[in-house]
Amino acid sequence: MSSDDVVVRRHLPHPPEAVFDAWLDAKGLAEWMCAGAGHATVELDARVGGKFRFVMHHGGRATEHLGEYLVIDRPGRLVFTWRSINTDDRPSEVTVDFTPAHGGTDLVLTHRRLPPQQRAAHQQGWVEILRKLAGILG
Amino acid sequence: MIFYQLVEYKLTTPPPPPLDAVYGALADPTRRAILAALTRREATVGHLVERFPISFNAVSKHVKVLERAGLVHRSVRGREHWVRLNPRPLREAAIWLERYREFWSGRLDALGTYLAGRRP
Repeated sequence: MSSDDVVVRRHLPHPPEAVFDAWLDAKGLAEWMCAGAGHATVELDARVGGKFRFVMHHGGRATEHLGEYLVIDRPGRLVFTWRSINTDDRPSEVTVDFTPAHGGTDLVLTHRRLPPQQRAAHQQGWVEILRKLAGILG
Repeated sequence: MIFYQLVEYKLTTPPPPPLDAVYGALADPTRRAILAALTRREATVGHLVERFPISFNAVSKHVKVLERAGLVHRSVRGREHWVRLNPRPLREAAIWLERYREFWSGRLDALGTYLAGRRP
């Protein structure tokens, strides 16, 4: 894992199966993945190689997120590609790990290969360099 | 002196360069070192040549790449080309991943709320 990956963790008081299933349920995704949107369109084909499409409508704007499922290993791991205007329309990769802990689930989401990393994949600590430079500049 | 500054601002108001150009410009260690040198003060291309063990042409090329990415502004005063840092694209690039962290953090909070609502 590169130090530049985006990693977000949460403990959820629900069994891994329930947390995992929320990621592949179109109705559920429209509620939580698209939360805050005026309305949302969710289409998905929940199998390895299957595609998904989430469209979030905010006011007059629509943001489309597209991807393909790479690993579906219930209830331990889900890996999919992720492409939208927010990734410069290039595929990035999201891994979600579900581990049973304290009667619930430790969820770890890792977002890799975002555009800054793609530009300098060989450079460790790429974002750190950016932060440092930007920090110097105040 | 002030006259030159005003002319330069008028001439250099292009649309912001794509993030892509910024990342490309930053991928080279010499160009990052040039930016770091410019954080302290503006410099002429000649000053930069003295600081780096590369030719005038090589420095000039790097400065052009940085200029295209919007990371530096160049102005001509007398016979000298002065190079000045423009930190804005740098800040935008630095907050890119921060925005994604916030996006997922918000989604996972919503997932927690959704699951709690489904509890029997």
